[in-house]
Amino acid sequence: MTAAAVMPPIPLKRYTGVMDWLTTVDHKKIGLMYFWFTVTMGVIGGFFAGAIRVQLATPGAVIETIQAAHLAGVELPFNLFSENRDLFNQMVTMHASVMIFFTIIPGFIAFANYVVPLMVGARDMAFPKMNAFGFWLLIPAAMLMLSSFFVQGGAASSGWTAYPPLSLAGAGHNPGQDMWIMGVHLAGVSSILAAINFIVTIASLKAPEMKWRDLPLFAWATFFTSIIQLTATPVLAAAVTMILLDRNFGTTFTIASSGGDPVLYQHIFWFYSHPAVYIMILPGFGAISHIFAAFSHKRVFGYLSMVLALGCITLLGFTVWAHHMFSVGMSPGLAYYFQVASLLIGVPTGIKVFNWLATMWGGTIRFTTAMMFACGFICLFVLGGFGGLILALVAVDFTLTDTYFVVGHFHMVLVGGSVMLLFAMTYYWWPKMTGHMLSEKLGKWVFWLMFIGVFVTFFAMHLSGANGMARRVPVYFADFKFSNYLTTFGYFLTIVSSLLFYLDLFLSYRRPKVTEDDPWKINDVQQSFEWATSCPPPVYNFVTVPPIPVLDQMSDGHGKPQDAVADKPQDPKPTH
Amino acid sequence: MLRLLFFICLLALAVCAVPSLGAADPVKPPVAPVVSAPLAVDPVDRDVELFNPNVYSLDESGHGPKHVTRSPFTDPASDIAREVASVTWLSSLIFLPFLVLPLLLLLYVIFKFRDTGDGRKPATFTGNHTLEIVWTVIPCVALVLVSIPTWFILDKMEAPPEKQKDRMAVRVTGKKFAWDYKYLGIYKDPKAEEKQEIAVGQFLGIQEPLVLAKGRTVELHMTSDDVNHAWWIPPFGVKKDCIKGRDTYAWFTPDTIGFFKGQCAELCGDGHGLMIITSAVVEKPDFERWLALQRMKDDTFKVWTTIQPPAGTAIDDQALREVVTGFLAKGRSPERQYALRYWIACNYATLQRVPPPTGVSLAEVFGAAKGGGATEIAAAIRVRRAKVDVLLQGLVADLGPATESTIAGSSTAAIAVPGAQP
Repeated sequence: MTAAAVMPPIPLKRYTGVMDWLTTVDHKKIGLMYFWFTVTMGVIGGFFAGAIRVQLATPGAVIETIQAAHLAGVELPFNLFSENRDLFNQMVTMHASVMIFFTIIPGFIAFANYVVPLMVGARDMAFPKMNAFGFWLLIPAAMLMLSSFFVQGGAASSGWTAYPPLSLAGAGHNPGQDMWIMGVHLAGVSSILAAINFIVTIASLKAPEMKWRDLPLFAWATFFTSIIQLTATPVLAAAVTMILLDRNFGTTFTIASSGGDPVLYQHIFWFYSHPAVYIMILPGFGAISHIFAAFSHKRVFGYLSMVLALGCITLLGFTVWAHHMFSVGMSPGLAYYFQVASLLIGVPTGIKVFNWLATMWGGTIRFTTAMMFACGFICLFVLGGFGGLILALVAVDFTLTDTYFVVGHFHMVLVGGSVMLLFAMTYYWWPKMTGHMLSEKLGKWVFWLMFIGVFVTFFAMHLSGANGMARRVPVYFADFKFSNYLTTFGYFLTIVSSLLFYLDLFLSYRRPKVTEDDPWKINDVQQSFEWATSCPPPVYNFVTVPPIPVLDQMSDGHGKPQDAVADKPQDPKPTH
Repeated sequence: MLRLLFFICLLALAVCAVPSLGAADPVKPPVAPVVSAPLAVDPVDRDVELFNPNVYSLDESGHGPKHVTRSPFTDPASDIAREVASVTWLSSLIFLPFLVLPLLLLLYVIFKFRDTGDGRKPATFTGNHTLEIVWTVIPCVALVLVSIPTWFILDKMEAPPEKQKDRMAVRVTGKKFAWDYKYLGIYKDPKAEEKQEIAVGQFLGIQEPLVLAKGRTVELHMTSDDVNHAWWIPPFGVKKDCIKGRDTYAWFTPDTIGFFKGQCAELCGDGHGLMIITSAVVEKPDFERWLALQRMKDDTFKVWTTIQPPAGTAIDDQALREVVTGFLAKGRSPERQYALRYWIACNYATLQRVPPPTGVSLAEVFGAAKGGGATEIAAAIRVRRAKVDVLLQGLVADLGPATESTIAGSSTAAIAVPGAQP
């Protein structure tokens, strides 16, 4: 790569302004659009969560008082959904659907879209137009789902799991459920397209000097996630298509009286939806490795075992789906297999946690907001994982499944895990993505409110569930009054935190531009290219492929050359 | 800025607290529980409280529920639940290091290796094979440790309870939004009842409890009439989905007397939250008496509909006399008389929990003056129950004591009247 190979800046822009955003195929712009889409959807999903929490905040909906109110001939003291009891189920369903399909999954895709091509030294994704198509599919998908609140019968109300026969009820009279299925299909297509794009980009567009053994962990994580998306999402499409056909075209895939089987649907659904939880966390696992290395100013500990752990989780993730449905009544041998396999996933996950701690060990840790979110993630994720280990035990799961313990568990790993990771990634990569720093001062507030809020909210849910509160109920016994009160209180903390975060996002655009390529001054411990170009990068990312900052990932750190590289401050700036 | 944030937090707290303050003082049910005579408690009322307590009753303070939900892990009430609770605590103990160790390490790392600006160089190691093997192998060992006891308990839960000699089976059918229980295999004497099965479910608009005997194993065969439901009472330690076209199975032996409650645990529609599950666990003799009472339930229904006509209608005394005579004509043993008195009292206890029809106040349902409170309602009910008692006494006196022939038509299972027991 000589200076003669410098690519002349081709006029890639055909339009300016809004039309530019609508027609762009630039992975960076699409990544940012994904990001803002995610933020918008997060607000909507958070609003649904708020409606649920306000309803459950008080025993206003407590069963005792329902009877008392009937007797006294008065309206319930406090019941958001007294006019339309089904609306609560619609809220529950849409909260989950919006958060899963339109917030967390596209949230990680946003960063992968922006950062992965930069990390591997590519000029764009392998299929830029498909990339844009994938993003624009999400808009009608979200519109289909959300607009279903305004059709006859309201939105889908059978939970995001859409178990038949409940999801078959009212076929022909509640198109909301069909719109939900269509929305899932579109989101699924979008997901598959993104997955193909990432796999090809990473496999074929990484810089010639970058071998698989040098691949940054975030790229590895995106690679594995894409494999899951590519193989599991079609299965979800099959599952919801069965519902669609049963509802509208007289098939009987899931209708027991006609030879179908409602449990078959559950198996197929969870065959996607369990791997889907790894779609929602693996990219974060990869990204957090970079953040720990960056702010401990140390290279990632145990690179190879990190990659192997990601691969193990990917594989094992496909073999444990039935732990979501132990209570349907399966043979004990089968259930026991799923228990052991589920517990086994704890091993590679544990390896990752210990590796992160070892990465920090001996470093010089700077507590930037991104780093605080990363540390907070470890706390909450380990806690959520502990609940997961207990839930994996079949005998115990019979008691805990479909209770608030489960709700607390998966929120602890999704909000305490994935969402904390998304926050960390935002604080870390925001200067690279926009050229503006987020406020470290405000960020500390965002972190502490979010950390405490998430902990209180979801820990209290564990308590409700362990004491016997079923999930998806709009009313409950007064025994669970206190823990539900705590949960709603925690919810408001997280809302305050989120509002501050959104405020900070907008404020950041008014701050001066970052002038350095590497504002965190971390490039000497990163193995990726994204800090070797300007903030934000030019349309073509790199003029020439920069040298790999740290050469050999697999080195155990005792080799001289690596140490020399790590010790010497260097500036691998590209020559553009 | 700091102050603003603090203010926002306070606001959130206040928003949160306002509704829950209201909740701390829930609307007190205007209806008192069945009022019994202060000195001699009618055994009938005691049985009603035993077999059909009000799940909505409040405790003495009027703030919390009288029948609290027992935690399956700290307060189990069946043999299975006890084993599940102990295996849960054991597994938690084994897993605990994997929760505590990373958190402690994290805290240590945070304080020990923070950048204090003293120019310390970060370490450069990037791997340690021994360590990595250690933290791969130790979790695997823990996994094996946990897996062994959990297999035995799982195997026990899923296999039929053949070791338990004293057992019965109940068919549980979930439907929107109530439970049907059919007691199977409890007829020791096939001639005892002519095809009359014991079935409980929703009666007078209220879910009847699943009555179980302490120490008698119960096998639940569950299914559903419509969408999926899940039957779960937390302290019993079992939960299974009820699925149409499938037969799921669970068993347990209740070992604690009491009244237990739970909720349907699988989303089943807009009434999901109101689909409650109740169970009364009683001593075995009480359970036998309950069975006998159940067998005579249908017989008493005519008397019930006559003594409790639709709101606004007067009781037809002549018709009442006829139906009670008709009831006694089929047998007038003390047990039958007791059953009639029990069912009248039980149905009144139930009816007080049912919302009255639109346009009618609850007091009017029981023949009390419109706008009458709990006391008036209780008094009105006492009057109606006394009517039946007086009729019974008079008619039985007229007919003379029961003879062999008059007993023949009645249940062979004797009802041991609880008041008469030592």
